[in-house]
Amino acid sequence: MLEHNFDYTIKALFRDKMLIFWTFAFPLILGTFFHLAFSNIEKNEQLDTINIAVVQNENYKNSVMFKKAIPALSDKKNKEHLFNTKYVTKEKAEALLEEEKIVGYFILEESPKVVVKKTGIEETILKQVVEEISTKEKTLNIVAEVTLQQHGIDETKRDIVYLDSWISATYQNILEEWEKKPTIQDISSPNLSYTMIEFYTLIAMTCLYGGVLGTVAINRNLANMSSNGKRVAVSPTSKMKLVFSSALAAYVTQLIGVLLLFLYTIFILKVDYGDDLSHIVMLAMAGCLAGLSLGIAIATLLKASDNTKMGVIISVTMLGCFFSGMMGITMKYVIDKSMPIINRINPANMITDGFYALYYYDTLDRFNTNMMSLLIFSAIMIAISIFSLRRQKYDSI
Amino acid sequence: MTVFKAFLKVLNKSKAPIIMYTVFLIIFAAFNVEKNDNPAQFTDEKPSIYIVSREDATGINRNLVDYMKKKCKFVDLKGQSLEDALFYRDVSTILFLPEDFGKEIMEHKTPKVIIKSTQDVNASLTELILNKYIQTAYAYSRIAKTEEEVVEYMNATLSKETKVEVLSKLDTSHLNKATFYYNFLNYSLLAGLIYVICLIISSFKEEKIEKRTIVSSMEYKKFNRSLLLSNGLFALFLWAFYIILSMIMVGNIMFTTHGLFYILNAFIFSGCAVSIAFLIGNVIRNKNAINGIVNVIALGSCFLCGAFVPMEMLPKYVLNIAHILPSYWYIKTNEMIKTTEIFNIDSVTPMIINMGVVILFTIGFVIITNIITKRNRKKD
Amino acid sequence: MENVIEVKNLTKEYKSLKAIDELSFSVQKGEILGLLGPNGSGKSTTINCILSLLNFQKGSIQIFGKEMKPDAYDIKRSLGVVFQDVAVLEELTVYENIDYFCGLYIEEQETREKYIKEALKLVGLEEFQKFYPKQLSGGLLRRLNIACGVSHKPKLIFLDEPTVAVDPQSRNNILDGIKELRNQGATIVYTTHYMEEVELLCDRVIILDKGHILASGTCDELKLLAHIEEKITVEGIQLEENQMQKLEKLKNVEDMLYSNDTLVMTYQKGKNNLVDFIEYLKKEKIRYSKIYSERPTLNDVFLELTGKELRD
Repeated sequence: MLEHNFDYTIKALFRDKMLIFWTFAFPLILGTFFHLAFSNIEKNEQLDTINIAVVQNENYKNSVMFKKAIPALSDKKNKEHLFNTKYVTKEKAEALLEEEKIVGYFILEESPKVVVKKTGIEETILKQVVEEISTKEKTLNIVAEVTLQQHGIDETKRDIVYLDSWISATYQNILEEWEKKPTIQDISSPNLSYTMIEFYTLIAMTCLYGGVLGTVAINRNLANMSSNGKRVAVSPTSKMKLVFSSALAAYVTQLIGVLLLFLYTIFILKVDYGDDLSHIVMLAMAGCLAGLSLGIAIATLLKASDNTKMGVIISVTMLGCFFSGMMGITMKYVIDKSMPIINRINPANMITDGFYALYYYDTLDRFNTNMMSLLIFSAIMIAISIFSLRRQKYDSI
Repeated sequence: MTVFKAFLKVLNKSKAPIIMYTVFLIIFAAFNVEKNDNPAQFTDEKPSIYIVSREDATGINRNLVDYMKKKCKFVDLKGQSLEDALFYRDVSTILFLPEDFGKEIMEHKTPKVIIKSTQDVNASLTELILNKYIQTAYAYSRIAKTEEEVVEYMNATLSKETKVEVLSKLDTSHLNKATFYYNFLNYSLLAGLIYVICLIISSFKEEKIEKRTIVSSMEYKKFNRSLLLSNGLFALFLWAFYIILSMIMVGNIMFTTHGLFYILNAFIFSGCAVSIAFLIGNVIRNKNAINGIVNVIALGSCFLCGAFVPMEMLPKYVLNIAHILPSYWYIKTNEMIKTTEIFNIDSVTPMIINMGVVILFTIGFVIITNIITKRNRKKD
Repeated sequence: MENVIEVKNLTKEYKSLKAIDELSFSVQKGEILGLLGPNGSGKSTTINCILSLLNFQKGSIQIFGKEMKPDAYDIKRSLGVVFQDVAVLEELTVYENIDYFCGLYIEEQETREKYIKEALKLVGLEEFQKFYPKQLSGGLLRRLNIACGVSHKPKLIFLDEPTVAVDPQSRNNILDGIKELRNQGATIVYTTHYMEEVELLCDRVIILDKGHILASGTCDELKLLAHIEEKITVEGIQLEENQMQKLEKLKNVEDMLYSNDTLVMTYQKGKNNLVDFIEYLKKEKIRYSKIYSERPTLNDVFLELTGKELRD
């Protein structure tokens, strides 16, 4: 009996084109869109070589620091060179800026000046670099001056030639010191790609959309929901057994859908779920269970048409995904930070956050919390469903 | 009139999705508030950071923290997950300042500042600022005897800022907002129009009703014309509604030449959306399929053409594909309007060309629709 | 005679409405019992109560001598139900649908295959095995609906308005099928508001209205309840005012109606009404083109008992 119902439920679910579109195809399509749109964002946010111009006037030609530092920063042989620099006249620089061929240009008047078209991060970097160079120049001068004084060489005693080479040596000293010392060390995790969250919400959406499969499969067994249910109710089979095998069929269908999505996102879209395969599988299964149990609860509790029930599940899912960052990753962070309770009871977030924990965190604590939350959520939904399923006779049908 | 009445009935039924598309628009446009209000004066872009250090730090440590706080946007993450803040880009860099940082500098040692960063352009800028500080501090440690002395030198040197001249006088923040709104409109207009118009056409084309209209006294062409008129009116209404909404949400800029071009561009695109909706409505007969198609087409064109993610962030090959979609030309025009300072023949011509492309798309869709409906009627 | 169903004092109330009021009746083995009544008279509610789908306030229901409960699986095994709404799965073919529902009763595959073939033959859907429900016309869909309910060869079958909105060909097929089921030994409870079907099929009829039994018995017994005997219709007749007055005074005439050259005479019980009438017309030399007489129908009985038509 169980097998008979299971087989036919699977058959019926797979033949329902609309259902298969929403639970199988739509996530794949949406994932492809995400991939096309987001694949470049993070690359764009990395520091690119900035196009600038330097006005080659007399001041620049005579400057010590700038004439040395800017070409060094623009040296194409150095892989990490910051600038792509053109050395031009003022008129040419203005023209380049007007055509937006450069972000800004640097001109050394009485004091250094930067000309840009608008405010922005690249403009700020240009400004910062210029500032850094002039700060260094100033610093060196002060250091040299003070050192001279400390050595008791006041202005009257200075022999120009000797002094110049002496200052140069000091400069050289400090400059070399600056070059050598890597005093900043970055120890952040390599898994920093926040667009991954989009794909995690996609998995969450698919898991919860799977609830629709549960609803459709279970509805057919309920006498108060469908005429098929009446027919089933007068047959000599236990309702619980039927519901169980239908739910199992929906679950299997759902898992196949999620598996497809995983294969597609991993091998075609190159989504990174971390390396812990067994935990990924566990989380996906728990996620599907949460979706299924949500679907069953809505199927048993809500007395409405199939379409309304699907509408409710889709709305709940989309709202959940919204809070867990599908329409803007910041949303998840804001909710997590300022209204954590919402995401504590949000199954879409439990799934999303679980994958996030596997991808970004070294320990499993956060993952475990999410797993537990999913199981508790499912248990509550199933308990509610059973309470309503135990009724065998209805007041009205 | 009968057609129009039936039209209103269908419209009434599809309120919910239209409201939803509009709410999305409002939420996303409202979220995108720019911080910069004074376009004529340069203000540093400040990367957001958090510093882990002793509260009661003194000397160089204290000074470094103060300096970083001045040059960057300090986000107070006390008691929150630093890891999450980094991942979700709440901060671009977290600094772990060693307690004996100042002391080691004075002793000419090499203290290590450990950071965690997002490794993006903001993090690079932070590193630049931090590096400048440390290097300067090194240099002064050669001549100063105490930390306080170093701090004194540092403050004198670092307080001086480079002069920056900004050429453009564009009100970028408002233009950004308007562009964002009108780019997102691509979604709301497309989804709303396709959904409603397809629903209407499919209910009229449902076999029984279609037969009734064919045999009814109303001429087939006249019926089609009044259907087109109703849909056109609806599109006009929806367009006007979104324009008024933009005036409320974006503000004054809508009443300038810039605003006029945004509105004109949206108008031309609305026409194109109607023709797309007509084509789909005539190809698809299954009411249940409409929802799926609306989502795939509206979301697809938004993702591919830069309505959600700005065009400059999209991979080149995606933009190349996007050329075959009218949304691309619509959004590109919006982007052009954003960066235009003076409207003259040179700056307007490319916009007109883009709008022309959208109109060509519209004509193309109308022709295809006609071919298909003619073939279908013969089959019947 | 052995009673297959025994309903005693069944009462079912919805919030403010008494759907069934102290209903008692029994169904005998091998008979076709017709439950006749207009829409909303409580036919479907009665059946749903008997099947333990609905809670009811009062009364007892026994099937095959045992109390009916939701988990009385031994009783349910011998039941077959065809509900008013078509209840089939859209995604399964005709064959698969029957197999699915049959499989809820019979586990063994070979028996099932045999039974499905017989059910397909019974309703004449052999050629449509691989069709999906969407591809079937209304009548064929109803036939599939019946096949799904009876393929497992139940001993007691409930048919709830199986012929609503069905074309004449399918209706005949369905009615033949039901007779065939009875011939195979099944007991059948049949609800409808088509009295012609009841007259054609049923051994015994219960007329329901507002949850009450108005009358019960065989068709002929019920017709005796009507105090009109027959209706004589004359077409193509032209009458003058005085002729009409005379006609009205004829023996046993209950009522007469004349319009558009057509005359309808309603007669009370009595003998030789038609013969007398024809002779009278001959005597008066009144010309007409067509004349025929009709016996009272169950509709007339219902009309008399309640003052309203069955079908509305």
